[in-house]
Amino acid sequence: MTALALQPSRRRSKLGRRVRIAAGIVACIVFLFPVFWMVLSSFKDQRDIFTTPPTLFFTPTLETYIGYMQRADINRRLINTIIVATGSGLLSIVAGAMAGYALARIKLKGATTIGVLILLSRGVPPIALAVPMFLVARSMGLTDKHITLILAYCTFLIPYVMWLMRGFFLALPKELEESAMIDGCSRFGAFFKIIVPISVPGLLSTLIFSMILAWEELLFALVLTNRYASTIPVAIAGIAGDTVNGANWGALTAVGTITVIPVVVFALLVQKWLIQGLADGATKG
Amino acid sequence: MSTTTAGGARRARPRSWAKLTDMVSRWAFMAPAAIILLAMLAYPIFYTIEISFSRFDLMTFSAIEWVGWENYLHVIDDYRFWSSMKVTLVYLAFALPLQIVLGFGIAFLINADWRGRSIVRALFIIPMVVAPVVAGGIWRMILDPLWGIVNWLMGLIGLGPLDWFGDPNLAMAAIIIIDTWRWTPFVILIATAALLALPKELFEAAEIDGANWWSMLWSITLPLLVPIITATFVVRWLGAVKMFDIALAATYGGPGGATNVINLFIYEEAFRSLRFAESAAMAVIVLVLTMVLTGIFLRATRKLEELY
Repeated sequence: MTALALQPSRRRSKLGRRVRIAAGIVACIVFLFPVFWMVLSSFKDQRDIFTTPPTLFFTPTLETYIGYMQRADINRRLINTIIVATGSGLLSIVAGAMAGYALARIKLKGATTIGVLILLSRGVPPIALAVPMFLVARSMGLTDKHITLILAYCTFLIPYVMWLMRGFFLALPKELEESAMIDGCSRFGAFFKIIVPISVPGLLSTLIFSMILAWEELLFALVLTNRYASTIPVAIAGIAGDTVNGANWGALTAVGTITVIPVVVFALLVQKWLIQGLADGATKG
Repeated sequence: MSTTTAGGARRARPRSWAKLTDMVSRWAFMAPAAIILLAMLAYPIFYTIEISFSRFDLMTFSAIEWVGWENYLHVIDDYRFWSSMKVTLVYLAFALPLQIVLGFGIAFLINADWRGRSIVRALFIIPMVVAPVVAGGIWRMILDPLWGIVNWLMGLIGLGPLDWFGDPNLAMAAIIIIDTWRWTPFVILIATAALLALPKELFEAAEIDGANWWSMLWSITLPLLVPIITATFVVRWLGAVKMFDIALAATYGGPGGATNVINLFIYEEAFRSLRFAESAAMAVIVLVLTMVLTGIFLRATRKLEELY
């Protein structure tokens, strides 16, 4: 009786499932298309970029890459971006993980206040920091230096790392460091010898997210650097805004591809952690 | 460490010493982060507040004289500030709900039980890690009125061509589309995780009771998702108020200020027009507004969660 009654609804749900899957795939393709189009266009020569209708088939060329890399100082900017992303990522993972551990495990007077302050710091508009940072850096002769940018990026990376790692450490069993400390380990010893080694996956993926955030940052880089320490996003903003020479789409797509590919590779490597981290960041944050 | 009760004055010193080292070791974990954040986050905020109440001297590049609320009065009189605030508000009012609805909708679609589910989910990470400035630039090419592929596709079904970056309303629409493209995947990823965590038994029980798809969505799924939806909204809000890169790369605030979001406007005022005092005042206004609104949202989400 119940089996009979369920049958039509089951058939309908089967059809519904197919529709859902198809629609999901279509949505995915729509969302991936701009990236695909960018990568594709970066291998076109100028003639193939400006066509109606837009072409899918053409003879691929590395012309834009070679030409643009030689003319513009993209290589130096790439190195700068790597230095700044690595530096700020490492600094904020060390400082942020220690602070996150303190929030999760060490009873501190005022820990709740600190937690609230970290949350509030996510609401600070970067422009409110960029103006004074520029003025102070200028008066101290620190503009256009990697270290300035690295420290500036810590303002949003450290709170981010603290929050993610706090959640991570809270999920670890308490007995771990308790037994270590009974065995005579100091608090630092317990943290660095016991907690850090078992947290390597979490630390590594948090480091990667932090480096991605630093890699993409534009505002501080625009304000605090000009020639020597300038990063890739600044170059892209320049190319995109370069309306005097007409649309420079070859350069835009080539530099865009160079910027996006390594990030995509890293993000896909840690995708499981990325999704988990995002979900935790949203629900516990 | 002596725990005997013999104590007395002789024990007081070592005990307080141990207490002190214990406290130092506790706070030592917090110290590096605290020092960097005090120097790079707290101090600049106070400096911004100071500049906002001062006259700024461009010869010495410093705040020289206390002028009270003068800079704030200038800002409040500036119609460009208000139009920029309005632009930001319109962007937020359209982009945030759109991203939340689309994100949870697509998450529902791709959560159908099938083999490719995890691959599709992983692929949605890609738009999310495209640098916003690259996203702005690429979409500028895709939406180009003459050569862009979107206008060509629209032409196939007899629409357009639309001058996406020439018309004020369309330029705003373009900004919202680009931002939605970049950020909906973020919502999708959170939403898929949340949907997977829903208790299956509830749905099975409801199905046996003859509940249809629609009533299950309204009376089971949505109430269970309320905490996640509100949390996602707050996180997205905190990101969206910082909107800068996409507007800079795609439209540079144009045409005629139609997409000049507040952060871009303050940036221009400070670093192009060198009006640091007024910029600082605007930054303080935005800071306070953001904090107040965030507080309201957090309180509202708590209320909403209690309701369900």
